[in-house]
This record gives sequence, C-alpha cells and structure tokens, in this order.
Amino acid sequence: MSQKILEVKDLVVEFNTDRGKITAVNGVTFDVHKGRSIGIVGESGSGKSVSALAIMRLIPNPPGRIAGGTIKFNGENLPDIQMDEMRRVRGNKIAMIFQEPMTSLNPVFTVGNQIEEVLELHQTELSPKERKEKTIDMLRLVGIPSPEQRVKEYPHQLSGGMRQRVMIAIALSCEPDILIADEPTTALDVTIQAQILELMNKLQRELGMGIIMITHDLGVVAETCDEVAVMYCGQIVERADVDTLFKYPKHPYTKGLMESIPAFDSTSGKKKEKLTTIEGMVPSLFDLPAGCNFYNRCVSASDRCRESEPKLSPVEGSHEVSCFNPLSL
Amino acid sequence: MNLWVYTFRRLLYVIPVLLGVCLIIYLLFNVVAGDPTHILLGKHATAKQMAELRHELGLDRHWFMQYLDLVKSAFTFDFGRSWSTKQLISSMISEGAIPSLTLTVPGFFISTICAVSLSLLVSFYRGGLFDKFTILICISLMSIPSLAYILFGQYFFAYKLGMFEISGYDFGFPHFIPYIQLPVLIWITLTIGPDLRFYRTVVLDEVYQDYVRTARAKGLGEKLILFKHVLKNAMIPIVTYVVIQIPFLILGALLIESFFGIPGLGGITLNAINSSDFPVIRAMTILSAVAYIIFGVITDILYTVVDPRVRLN
Ligand SMILES: Nc1ncnc2c1ncn2[C@@H]1O[C@H](COP(=O)(O)OP(=O)(O)OP(=O)(O)O)[C@@H](O)[C@H]1O
Ligand SMILES: [Mg+2]
Repeated sequence: MSQKILEVKDLVVEFNTDRGKITAVNGVTFDVHKGRSIGIVGESGSGKSVSALAIMRLIPNPPGRIAGGTIKFNGENLPDIQMDEMRRVRGNKIAMIFQEPMTSLNPVFTVGNQIEEVLELHQTELSPKERKEKTIDMLRLVGIPSPEQRVKEYPHQLSGGMRQRVMIAIALSCEPDILIADEPTTALDVTIQAQILELMNKLQRELGMGIIMITHDLGVVAETCDEVAVMYCGQIVERADVDTLFKYPKHPYTKGLMESIPAFDSTSGKKKEKLTTIEGMVPSLFDLPAGCNFYNRCVSASDRCRESEPKLSPVEGSHEVSCFNPLSL
Repeated sequence: MNLWVYTFRRLLYVIPVLLGVCLIIYLLFNVVAGDPTHILLGKHATAKQMAELRHELGLDRHWFMQYLDLVKSAFTFDFGRSWSTKQLISSMISEGAIPSLTLTVPGFFISTICAVSLSLLVSFYRGGLFDKFTILICISLMSIPSLAYILFGQYFFAYKLGMFEISGYDFGFPHFIPYIQLPVLIWITLTIGPDLRFYRTVVLDEVYQDYVRTARAKGLGEKLILFKHVLKNAMIPIVTYVVIQIPFLILGALLIESFFGIPGLGGITLNAINSSDFPVIRAMTILSAVAYIIFGVITDILYTVVDPRVRLN
C-alpha cells in the first residue's frame, strides 16, 4: 500500500440558508495516497465540490462552515491551522482546478502573469528570469503550443480547453502533493475532455501527486482513478477500488449510476441498447428522511431502510458500502 | 490595430454625432422655443421693429445657414454675444470656467478617491459591522436634501463658528482657496454617498467571481486579491462612471455656485435661463454636448487600456 498523504475523517460542512441550516457534507471519510487517484462521484448537489472546498478551506463563510471532522495533512489538521499557514499550503502543497475554465482565470491579467504569480508566492528562491522560464516550461508541459507566444496572451484569447490547461499549469507549477480537480472536463467538449484527462494521467505519472478527481461521470472515473467514493446527499455510500466497484457494485445507487451511462453495461461490459435512469427525486437537504437517504428511489429497499440509517461498513477487504441490502453478485 | 488608428477612427465617428446633436439643438431653439423677438422687444413691438431685429440677429436667413453657424460654433467656440449683457459669450465662458473648475475639480477628485478607497475597505469587511455602518451613513447622507447642507454649512460652520467664508470668490491662486473650502466640503458630502454605494456594488460584484476563488486557491492573501485582482477588474466600470461625470464638472455646480456667490458657469447658466438669454443657453447646451461626446471617446479609449478583452477593431 502506498503512502497516505491526506486523511479526511468524518468531515461535516454546514450552510446557514434563508430556509434553515443544511448539512451539505455529512461525515465524509476518505484518504488520498501518493501517486494515486481517488474519484468522488455523485449527482449534482451531493456535496462533492463542498468536500473539496473544505479541504482547501475555501468554503464561503458565511454562510458555510466546517462543522466537524478532521483533515490531516503532513501531521496537521488543516481546519485548525492559522490562515497564513493555510495559504502556504494552498497552491503549493495542495492545488485545485475548477469546473469553469472560462471564468476561473482573471480576465485582465496575462496567462503568464497568472502562472508567475503563484511561483512568486511559493518559490521565492526563483529569480524573475527563472520564473519566466519556468512559466514557459509549465505551459509546454501542459501541451500548449508555442508557449513563448501564449504567455503574453489574455484568457479570452484561449479556447476553453487551453484555459483548463493553463489552470492545470498554475496548479502544478509548485509540484503539489495533492491535486484536487473539481469536474475539470465537464465544461469541455468530448475530444478536449479526453485530451485533458490523458494529460492529467501523464502528469500524475511524471510528478507522482495524489489526485482527488471530482466528477459526476463514471466514464471519467474509469479512465483516471484507482479508487472511487460514491456520494449521495452529502455522504459516501460506497467506496472501493475502481475494478471492484465497476465489477461488483454493492449499492443500488452505484448500480443505478452505472446503468445510466450510455457506453457501459455493468454485467456484460458491452455497449447497451437501453438506458435506464434512477427513478424518483433526490431528497432535499432541508428535509432528509429518517432512514436511508436513498430509500425513496431504491429498488431493493426494505422496511428497515425506512426506519434506520445504514452506516458505511466493509463488505470485502477495502470495499465498503452503506446499505442494509447490498446487491449480491 | 494600433491605439492611434483606433483613436482616429473613433474621432471620425464624432462628426456625424456632432452634426446630429447640432441639428437637435437648432430645432429646440429655433422651432420649439418660438420667435425670440417677442421676448426681446416685449408685447408692444411694431412689425417693423421686429423685422429689423430679426435681420440683426440673422434670423431671416435660410435655416440651413443658421444651422451651419451653429455647427461652426461647436468647433470654434465662437457663440456670439449675450443678449442681456452684450458680452462675448466665449469670454464669459472662459471667465466662468475658472471658478467652476476650482470648485468642482478638487471636490470631484477628493470625493472619487475617498469613495473608491472606502469601497475597497468596505468590501474587505463585507457583511460586517463596518460595512453596515458605512452604508447606513451613505444612505443618511443621501436622504438629506442638498439645500439643507448648504444652509446648515453657511449658518453653522461659516457664520457661527467662523471657520469658512460665507460666500464670495476671489480670482487667482491662492486667493480663491478660502472661498472654495466650504463649497468643496459640501460637494464631497453630496457626492460621496451615491459614489461609495456605486463603487461598493462594483467591487462586491467582482469579489464573488470565480477568478477570486482561483486566486485564493493559489494561496494569495485577501489584501493582494482585493488590490490586485479585484481592483483591476473593477476599474472597468469605475472608469466609465468617473469619466461620465467630467462633463458635469465643466458645467459647474448650479446650486452651490448660486448660494455661495461663485461667479461660475453654473451661475451664468442660471442667469441666462432667468433672463431668457437664448445665445448663452444655447452656448452652454452646445458646450455640454461637445464635452459629453469628447469624454465618451475618452472612455472608449480608456477601455482599451484597462480591459484587454476590448479588441481594437
Ligand atoms: N454557498 C452555499 N450556500 C448555501 N448552500 C450551498 C452553498 N454551496 C453549496 N451549497 C449546498 O451544498 C450542497 C452540495 O453542493 P456541491 O456544490 O458540493 O454539489 P456538487 O456535488 O459539487 O454538485 P455539482 O455536480 O452540481 O457540482 C448543495 O445542495 C448546495 O445547495
Ligand atoms: Mg460541484
């Protein structure tokens, strides 16, 4: 087993809204290992981004706050450390790229400027000249053609895919231990998606960082991750390594997710003719049921599921599921 | 495209706009406003007197020639003479511009700088007590009518406490300084409320943008984010708002000037309106239109400097 570099344990994030308090992330636990990728999948609103932002301590406060749990990194609990210490972690040890490449870069600074800025902040030993060289190297590394020209350009002069490459360059320029990628390809078209994912895989092999890959697309997980956590209503409902999860999904929700992607069939591995969707609605965070959150949409629910809440517990080796009636093979 | 070429092309656009504006002004004064000879000669003028006057004023010429004269005056600033004082209007304007500018330019300058810096400060502590308190003060300042400030200032600070001159003006530096202190202070009080509220909205609009989150994720501190990333983006609306106000500065502060006896352009306009001095009113109208158009061009050029997304073609 490779080295554990980040340990998230029982993370709870709450938001105060006009309609009352919601728990967007409710007791999430996962680890990040050096050189490995963990995928976090789930539908919109399941708390994926909020979990990632909590690690970076970027939850907007107010209205949000980390209400419980620990995030251990380098022997320290990130929610407890001083803000200036946290700033030395951000962008340096843990970097993040976002879902919206079109708006995540500052429109009035050049691409080069925005990469140099992070080097200036965290790699103070570099001279201005070395910074410029490294900036160009970074652009080359992420596969931007004629980087000497591109450094002088503004974000609006680049396509979405190119901007996301720039974001990756910014994130990787200080060789972080962990890269959090929050739906890095959702806003891009399919061919560009594949290129960006391929790039991230390649850079991970070269730089050996741990990756948290957030996505709602199991296809992305299959292509990039070693391990997967499936989230539903702020909780992890199933966790396993990728092969196990795709072969033997235990949670009815995981199975439902798999059956709702076009080019995949969980049993035969062949392309399917028929797509299924998960019936029913995600319960509102304001009004979660007493029992299992997935009860109202579940095909294998029993009375017990209505009354009490299942806990995430191991089924086989490192495969964990939070379900009273896990699917058998 | 080069900035100079852009500026030149932008200036070419000014010509049709100016011709159109002049046409509207011509129609306003010569068609809508009616025959000025009645105003000048009173009710009992004979037809002969009226015809003579019309000839003297050039009103009997072809309308197109009169329109051309008006267009010419927009370029030469030769507006003829005032009906009531018989002075050259161009020299009235250049004389009145000095007191007006000595009042409005410092007022505008100080107010803008204070409002922009305060808006950054307030955005830094957004949602907090300082933010709420500042907004409360802004709204209170805005809800008091401007006359109240003028009268209170003159009575209390100038008359009772003797801190400032009550009214009057003296030409030449530094003689005018004592006379403009209270008016400038009142100008600032009047403008800082709406300005600060506007700038705060502009800055807060930027603070929640995605690029700010990116900057935080890079490890930048809040101050650097605000003064570098946010301010540079906020400059785009700020520049527009600032430049749009400059034509008003040239026209002077109507109310303040008349209450403080400052012989500025505001006062000249007011007098001209009171005495139906058409040439002066028309001159001021043309002047403000020209100022507006010119500063519109300047805004466009500044855009290309502060916003790289504005392409030069
Ligand atoms: N600033 C906020 N204020 C209030 N509630 C918030 C805020 N940010 C997130 N939430 C709530 O937290 C929940 C989880 O949101 P999150 O953004 O983590 O979802 P997600 O899984 O990333 O979904 P998506 O796939 O749409 O990105 C949502 O129900 C949302 O309403
Ligand atoms: Mg999200």
